[in-house]
Amino acid sequence: MVDLNEIAKSVIGRDITRTRELTKNAIDANIPVKEILNKGLVAGIQVVGEQFGEREIFLPELLMSGEAMKAAMRLLKPLLAKRKGGETYIGKAAIGTVQGDIHDIGKNIVLMMLEGNGWDVTDLGVDIAPEEFCTAVKENDFQILGLSALLTTTMPNQQRTIDMLKANGLRDKVKIAIGGAVVSQTFADQIGADCYAGDAAEAVKKFKLLIQ
Amino acid sequence: MTSENTSKKPDLTPRRRFVANLMGGRKGKRISVSNPTSIACTELMNKIGVHFPDAHHDAKQMAELAAAGYEILGFDTVMPEFSVQQEAAALGCEVKWGTDTMMPEILTHPVKDVSDVIIPENLLEKPSICVILDAISMLRHEYGDHVAIIGKVMGPWTICYHMVGVQDFLIMTLREPDKVRELLDAYIPVTVAFANAQIRAGADAVTLADHATGDMVGPHTYEEFLVPLHHKMLPQIGGPTILHVCGNCVDRISLIITEGYDAWHFEWKNDPKKVVKAAKGEISLLGGISNVDCLLNGTPDDVYKQARYNIEAGVNSIGPECAIPAGTQIANLKAIVSAAEEGY
Repeated sequence: MVDLNEIAKSVIGRDITRTRELTKNAIDANIPVKEILNKGLVAGIQVVGEQFGEREIFLPELLMSGEAMKAAMRLLKPLLAKRKGGETYIGKAAIGTVQGDIHDIGKNIVLMMLEGNGWDVTDLGVDIAPEEFCTAVKENDFQILGLSALLTTTMPNQQRTIDMLKANGLRDKVKIAIGGAVVSQTFADQIGADCYAGDAAEAVKKFKLLIQ
Repeated sequence: MTSENTSKKPDLTPRRRFVANLMGGRKGKRISVSNPTSIACTELMNKIGVHFPDAHHDAKQMAELAAAGYEILGFDTVMPEFSVQQEAAALGCEVKWGTDTMMPEILTHPVKDVSDVIIPENLLEKPSICVILDAISMLRHEYGDHVAIIGKVMGPWTICYHMVGVQDFLIMTLREPDKVRELLDAYIPVTVAFANAQIRAGADAVTLADHATGDMVGPHTYEEFLVPLHHKMLPQIGGPTILHVCGNCVDRISLIITEGYDAWHFEWKNDPKKVVKAAKGEISLLGGISNVDCLLNGTPDDVYKQARYNIEAGVNSIGPECAIPAGTQIANLKAIVSAAEEGY
């Protein structure tokens, strides 16, 4: 009998090998994938997110827990894709770092937390031009588009991207979330974004609210 | 001494004012305004006709842009290194040098193991290194004893971010801490050689940026890796040093003051009053005017208020908290100087 709580503990404990092993055991024991995800990985990464928000842990610890989760997700993802009847994912989102900016740690952490919390996420990469964001929105059915910018010099490209979505008649197709060390709720309001998230834990909460 | 002679006594020159503040000495009639990090904004570049990326590569243009900090803004210091990629470029990383509005970026991270570390024997002759040395020499020649010159180097921790990649390096601190220590030790000679060369070229002090910031790593990580590293490294540097660590660092001030730096350049998000109290007079404090909220998005009046708050808190020298955003207005930078000119 696999205790899914042990998977959560191994994510919190940053034990990549144990997380992978326990997840495999759970799959082999025919425990529903959604249960493994929610009671094992999501439960674990939520605690990690809270610890990070409270400054009990910092980036290295968060990244290691993320690696543990990624190891488990590599086993679960093929099974999630094969699901029959009903949606397993909470929602569908894509995140990219804006043009001229190649910082990606924050973006990657948000992607990891969202995936761990049951989202179907797409990493659009870094240095993404507004036109590329538009193409991604046009050709897919993302519910939320996340725009990350770490520099004051690249912040304006969050606005340019929103403006280009409007110009191409795509603004209403997707909710826009922005994040990054230098952006703020005030800036999000100024440029017409739907939400601002200060860190990955906040992003998980706010993304869920955005699609309700 | 008669009161007439007292009133005629000249105030400290910009250089003396800054150096006195840096070492916790005589205060003079007013606080110094300093920039341990870049104050090159687009408006300043347009005003003097010097732009990036040329000012990263050409010593004369670099010196000219640095000098604008004194000539146009009225700061007491000039600091010619506007980016943080000089060492990484010299050590073999591919660097995209950017534009007026785009700071340089490191595109490759060639080091995965200590065996990958290669420090060229002719390090100080590498273009990205000697352009800084030449610019410092030109500034010293130009300003003699009048204006303070601050150099800048990256510490081994930041060099490792650049050479290994930030994410991989941070994970390494948990999975392979001994390797982290070996890598840090391997890069000490780079920081020391560059810092000493800048002092020989004429720098009064050197900013040493080692970005183990509170927004990335905890105080336990700072204590485990940075404190022993800095204890080993600082005695080898032959001049005053200014530690630059961004972010929320109140939780590690008690560690910073044990390391041997002459000053700490800090951010506004660390309340200057708390910083002064926690420093206990063991280190001078430079900063801490907010870049985004104040210098970029605020008014000259907002800047004045933060500057006066820092002065009244007992900070030793005031200025921007970090390299300023490109869109910062000259009027806001001048407002720092205006606040300082009112005296203590």
